[in-house]
Amino acid sequence: MAAAGTTPDRRLDELQADAAAAAEQRRQRRYLVRSLLRSPTFVVGVLIVLFWVVMGVFSTTFTQPPALPHPFAILQSPSASHWFGTDDLGRDVFARTMAGAHTVLIIAPLATVLALLWGGMVGLTAGFYRGLTDDLMMRVVDAFLALPIIITAILIISLLGRSYAILILVIGALFTPVISRTIRSAVIGEREREYVMAARLRGERSAFVMAREILPNITQPIIVEGTVRLGYAVFTVATLSFLGFGLEPPSPDWGLTVATERLNLQAAPWTVLFPALALASLVVGVNLIADGLSSTFSK
Amino acid sequence: MARLIGRRLLLMVPTLILVSILVFALAEVLPGNLGRFILGPYATQSAVDQLNHNLGMDKPIYTRYVEWAGHFVTGHWGTSYQYTTSVFPLVMRALGNSLLLAGFALVIIVPTSILVGVYAGLRRDSILDRAITISSLSMTVIPEFVSGVILIVVFAVTLHWLPVQAMPPQGSPFIDRFYYLILPAIPLMLLELGYIARMARVGTVQVLNMPYVRTAVLKGLPRRRVIFGHVLRNALVPTVTVIGSQIGWLIGGLVVVETLFNYPGIGNYMVNAALNHDLPLLEACVLVVAVLYMLSNLIADIVVAFLNPRIRMGG
Repeated sequence: MAAAGTTPDRRLDELQADAAAAAEQRRQRRYLVRSLLRSPTFVVGVLIVLFWVVMGVFSTTFTQPPALPHPFAILQSPSASHWFGTDDLGRDVFARTMAGAHTVLIIAPLATVLALLWGGMVGLTAGFYRGLTDDLMMRVVDAFLALPIIITAILIISLLGRSYAILILVIGALFTPVISRTIRSAVIGEREREYVMAARLRGERSAFVMAREILPNITQPIIVEGTVRLGYAVFTVATLSFLGFGLEPPSPDWGLTVATERLNLQAAPWTVLFPALALASLVVGVNLIADGLSSTFSK
Repeated sequence: MARLIGRRLLLMVPTLILVSILVFALAEVLPGNLGRFILGPYATQSAVDQLNHNLGMDKPIYTRYVEWAGHFVTGHWGTSYQYTTSVFPLVMRALGNSLLLAGFALVIIVPTSILVGVYAGLRRDSILDRAITISSLSMTVIPEFVSGVILIVVFAVTLHWLPVQAMPPQGSPFIDRFYYLILPAIPLMLLELGYIARMARVGTVQVLNMPYVRTAVLKGLPRRRVIFGHVLRNALVPTVTVIGSQIGWLIGGLVVVETLFNYPGIGNYMVNAALNHDLPLLEACVLVVAVLYMLSNLIADIVVAFLNPRIRMGG
């Protein structure tokens, strides 16, 4: 053992140090989770969003079929058999409102993940290299932000046509500039820190430093930014659907329903009111989560 | 100051060219065969070719871009496919309607949100402050068409306080239009209120902690004079910056609110033109909105520079 030299001992030391660091990390994470669960904003937000996730996935198993028209039960006001009334085709508004969560909750999160990926790459590169790379990338970002998002989205969707994939790609692309700005400024805050210098002196490649050293240290701002963007993504998907550039009938999507049923607004306000309230609750829920996260992280 | 404005105007040029290329690309790709799209599947091939020739769709792309851009600059914006009238007067009338709505909304938004924010800031951490902050922030995240629909149901359909439509019947005096614009302006206000009020609140809270405010209070000035003479003047500078940066959101909001209320503004025309493949009208609307957006950002920057002596003097 003694003849074998110091290598195994040192390895043991390293292992123990690693284990201690990992335990410390776990302890911090547990502390963070506990303080999140103590934040009422976060918990209420999670409950609201969870409710809509469950409804989006399972509601069709226990409600009436959301797309089934009843020609003899048109525009009935809310009652025991139709909790939220029926629409102009006699479809059950409760069933459609619950099922309406489905499409938004597929498109918005995927678009956000896409924007985080792209924005993360742009932000990391621009913030890490600075100089000319940074200047060029930020000029392009500025050009993209030169028009209101909703107008660029309308233009591109009229250009490419409507589909799930195009909605996700367009919203992901249009959210990339803002996210890359946030991530860039977080990277700039980290790149002069000692651990980054140490990694560079060890001779690590730039890609390694970015992905394994800097990235883990900026997860908190990324998570907050991602949640805030998710709220905006829900907002944007709904707005595009409302304007006629999102989903197509007979989808029970909330934005689409408000757009198509608003002709009955005066005769049967419930056909519009319930999907509108559902959408409002989901957006507020996501933003409550974002608020809870950012105030817990900044403590 | 003049150099600042000049530089910002120059910076607008590449962005405008970029937008115009995007719009032109749209005009190229969107219709596929434009003549076939207009005439339908039963028209003869020779009629389709003739129409394509009349519309200039058979020339090479770069010629058409240069021609198109030239026409645009000289005010020849073509004929709308939908309305079969000249686009220029159509868009200008819609722009006037939109500016009326946006201006009216701003006149309501700015004083209300500053009042709300300063009030919350002066009563920091009270229940009222919490209520104002939370409710105004949740309002900003709710899409305009959602708050608009809820407002219509409450104030127009149920209480009958305000009209459902945004335009008065033909022949009414001009002043009536403002009464009809109240309901469409409120969703726009809710969208902006949270941000502006939060800024005004933060500004007030910060200034209240300044030594010069304490001096003013200690030398025995009445509370009203402290607030108006010392607090407000300094608290509002960051608020003006935020108002400027919110104009983009306001324009995006116009598109939605005009569609919801069927108000004949430029956003409504743009959406309808995009849905009905009315290219000349769509191009004109997008370019006009782009210019409007850039100009309003420029004006906001100039106002901020004007309020901040460090930028004003430094150029």
